[in-house]
Amino acid sequence: MRRLSITAVGVLQAIADGFQYGFDIIDQTQLPSGTVYPALGRLERDGFVKSAWENEADAHADGRPARRYYKLTAPGVKALGEAASFYRSMLPAKPRTARG
Amino acid sequence: MLRWCDLVLRAAAPLVPFEIRRDWLREWRAEFAYTAARAARINKPMPIASLPRALGAIVHAAWLRWDQWRVEMIVQDIKHAIRSLRRKPSFTAVVVLTLAIGIGGTTAIFGAVNAVLLRPLPYPDADQLVRVYKAPLKDLERIGGAVSPPDFTDWRRDNTVFAELAAYDNDSLALTGNGAAEQIPTGEVTGGFFTVMGTTPLLGRTITTADDPMGARGVVVLSDALWVRRFGANPSIVGQQLVIDGISREVIGVMPAGFQYPLRSEMWTQLRFSARDLETQRGSHYIQVIGRLKPGVTLDRSREDMRAVGTRLAQDFPRTNRDTTATVQPLRETMVRNVRQSMFVLLGAVGLVLVIVCVNVAGLVLIRSLGRSRELAVRVAMGAGRITLVRALFVESLLLGLAGGAAGLVLAYWATTAIAALDPSIGVPLLNRTRLDTVVIGFALGVAVVASVVFGTLPAWQASGIGDVVTRIREEGGSTTSDPKRQRMRSLLIVAETTLAVVLLVGAGLLARSFDRLLSVDLGFSADAVQTFNIALPDARYAQPLQRQAFVQALLERAATLPNLESAGAVFGLPLSNFQFGISTSTRDGVTLSDDEQDALTLQIRLVTPDYFRTMGIPIVKGRGFTAGDRIGAQPVAMLNQTGAARVWPDLDALGHHLQIGTRFGMGGERAGGTVIGIVGDVRDYGPASPAPPTLYLSHAQWPDGGVSIVAKARNGDPASLVQPMRALLQELDPDVPMSAVRSMQQLSSAAVAQPRLSLVLIASFAGTAMLLAAIGLYGVLAYAVGQRTREIGIRLALGAKRGEVLRMVMTQAGRLAITGVALGLGAALLASRALRSQLFEIAPTDLLTYVVVGVGLLIVALAASWIPARRASRIDPLAALRHD
Repeated sequence: MRRLSITAVGVLQAIADGFQYGFDIIDQTQLPSGTVYPALGRLERDGFVKSAWENEADAHADGRPARRYYKLTAPGVKALGEAASFYRSMLPAKPRTARG
Repeated sequence: MLRWCDLVLRAAAPLVPFEIRRDWLREWRAEFAYTAARAARINKPMPIASLPRALGAIVHAAWLRWDQWRVEMIVQDIKHAIRSLRRKPSFTAVVVLTLAIGIGGTTAIFGAVNAVLLRPLPYPDADQLVRVYKAPLKDLERIGGAVSPPDFTDWRRDNTVFAELAAYDNDSLALTGNGAAEQIPTGEVTGGFFTVMGTTPLLGRTITTADDPMGARGVVVLSDALWVRRFGANPSIVGQQLVIDGISREVIGVMPAGFQYPLRSEMWTQLRFSARDLETQRGSHYIQVIGRLKPGVTLDRSREDMRAVGTRLAQDFPRTNRDTTATVQPLRETMVRNVRQSMFVLLGAVGLVLVIVCVNVAGLVLIRSLGRSRELAVRVAMGAGRITLVRALFVESLLLGLAGGAAGLVLAYWATTAIAALDPSIGVPLLNRTRLDTVVIGFALGVAVVASVVFGTLPAWQASGIGDVVTRIREEGGSTTSDPKRQRMRSLLIVAETTLAVVLLVGAGLLARSFDRLLSVDLGFSADAVQTFNIALPDARYAQPLQRQAFVQALLERAATLPNLESAGAVFGLPLSNFQFGISTSTRDGVTLSDDEQDALTLQIRLVTPDYFRTMGIPIVKGRGFTAGDRIGAQPVAMLNQTGAARVWPDLDALGHHLQIGTRFGMGGERAGGTVIGIVGDVRDYGPASPAPPTLYLSHAQWPDGGVSIVAKARNGDPASLVQPMRALLQELDPDVPMSAVRSMQQLSSAAVAQPRLSLVLIASFAGTAMLLAAIGLYGVLAYAVGQRTREIGIRLALGAKRGEVLRMVMTQAGRLAITGVALGLGAALLASRALRSQLFEIAPTDLLTYVVVGVGLLIVALAASWIPARRASRIDPLAALRHD
């Protein structure tokens, strides 16, 4: 399987961390909306996330329309784990502390 | 703010595929509403950052559209397009071929432009390379203008802008030993030359300033080509001794393949100046100067600096440097200035052909897409939107474009190979570098894609409206093609094609007329059956004037015994060989002229043997020619051409008068010159477009130079048949004197007009292609229109219309289009032909005859193209037509 891009990992990680709505993911990842939404689209197409509409009643009680939220699927969780460890392995080893 | 965001969303929404558009809008609106609600809760306005976030929605929408297309396009559209193109092989073949002509031609010409004008010169950091000229103050932009050794030495010492400045001279030296003697084009260069050029040698070292002093041993650097050809790429060549012009020189290095400067040089030896040269030669301008700017120095800065140096020299040496200065020009500019415009004209012309090709293909695609109305209607019925339909048709166009591009590249490969192999005598520098590199291939690909957009978009858009038409068919029972909008579109394409074809034809016509004028110019000599070649006697063994004279005389005497030889002579300064040797007149009838008068009376000097004029068919119009008696020791004599005589003695008969010029030909004693014994006809030494220069002829036997051209006229009319016997004679006399530049006068005359001929041939072939395409386009459109109007014409005939009237009706329709196109084209040509002005000889860009012939000619072609469909229309059987469709 194709490895996830850094952007995709960031978006997945944001969702995993509980930021489930589009603009919340944007705020969390600090990525532009024109990047995050296509990334979400790709992830949903590939089956790594699923989307649904929040409860209408709850939204109306809040005085606004219902928002769409995203959640990780099982393959999404797995892919995030693999990709994250891959990218982590590319980071430089922790600098050694000088002896003495 | 919320309103602004919503506005952006609504603008972007149409991009989103219809099926998901609602959800998309709902999601984005909800997010903005949430942002606004959250801000309102703390009594703040919606943050300004929402707007850029809304712009992201456009990206999102575009991405969704693309994402949908990507899948459909790659899988469906391409498959579908290939299937549909294969169903119509003749249509596909015609379109691909037409495109191949347009794209291939444009690519080939672009390849040449790329080689000459765009690609960096083949030297490291070539933009720092400049030429430095001595130029008159009143003409600082002039390119050309040789330099004297003392000026060069002072420039090199006094400038502050050059990393290095070097001088060189083009020469041709005899290489003897190691096989037959051969004349090799040689660059004589000062020590800084290879530092300036910046190219490192393949083997050994290059000439350096340590080799400059007169006492240093003679060295030579070989070009890769010479090294391979003459020495079999022997790696131990460095260190060997070669005999060049009778002097032994050590090979010190070999340059890598592709290094060529001065152009066509095959080896390089030292150019050295003695202390005496530097004292006495300030007025002798014969060397060329090239320099490399220091890093960071601009062209303007270098010009200022050299101007200051030049001004100082003008003060210090007013006699030779008054009113002159030093000018700096980029190296590439000096090489291409003369050809730039004609190259762009060619590129423009071939670009027009490409546009015509696109217009033609657009017409074909349009007609075909109308013929597919049923298929398109089905697709619309199955839910395909207009955008989807346009896309499908566009993918087809793109495939056609790419196929045409691929076929065009094959054509271009062939054409660029031919261009690179053109004889260098056509005088376009760097043309031999023309090839299909990545830039040129990328250009072809770009042209193919752009062409697809051009010829594909409009017809696709029009055809996509078929859905509406389907409804209308049902309602009216009419025919799709009588739709006036579409008819207008096709007519427009025809008019556009005709217009462009007229522009090209006028260009070709003007060039043809100009070329005809060039050919009809009397060059002043007869080129028939005259063979020429050069010999150069090595200075080392022919140091004495008498030795040189004796050699040339012996050669001509032996040649006279050849049965096939009618006459033969020798000349220093063969016509049409681009030979310039202008010397100022110093005394006239014993009176020393002022500096200004001397310069005004600069004459081209030619040294000739007695039979030269007879061999070349140059008439002696007055007095007598040189005889064998006009030799060293006899009374010095001279001849002038008519222009020269009129220049030196405007009011008198020049015969019997006396003049001297400012050189002694290195022979000491008196300055060259003598009593004028004869006047000869003018010779256009620099080709038909340049007037004959004022020329002074001196007797070679009185001023024998070691480098001459032999001219020999064959009795049997075949000049080439003299080459072998003459070579044998030369071999007998001195095997170390090679024959070089073996050409017939006919070849030289032909080469003198090679560049205009090439321009003419290319433009004329473009124009011919354009006319053919326009005619085919007109034919296609009319044939189609007649086919579609069969029923209408049938009704007309059934109602009593005469067949002649039908014929006239169709012809009138064609005629109207053609006349509009021709009229517009003539107007456009009037504007465009100005670009040709510099290439025209004795023909104005507004030449009436050309315009009339082109206009009438194209109308005839257009009417001929319409004749077949018109006749078919007039022969329609009314009964069959009424059953039609």
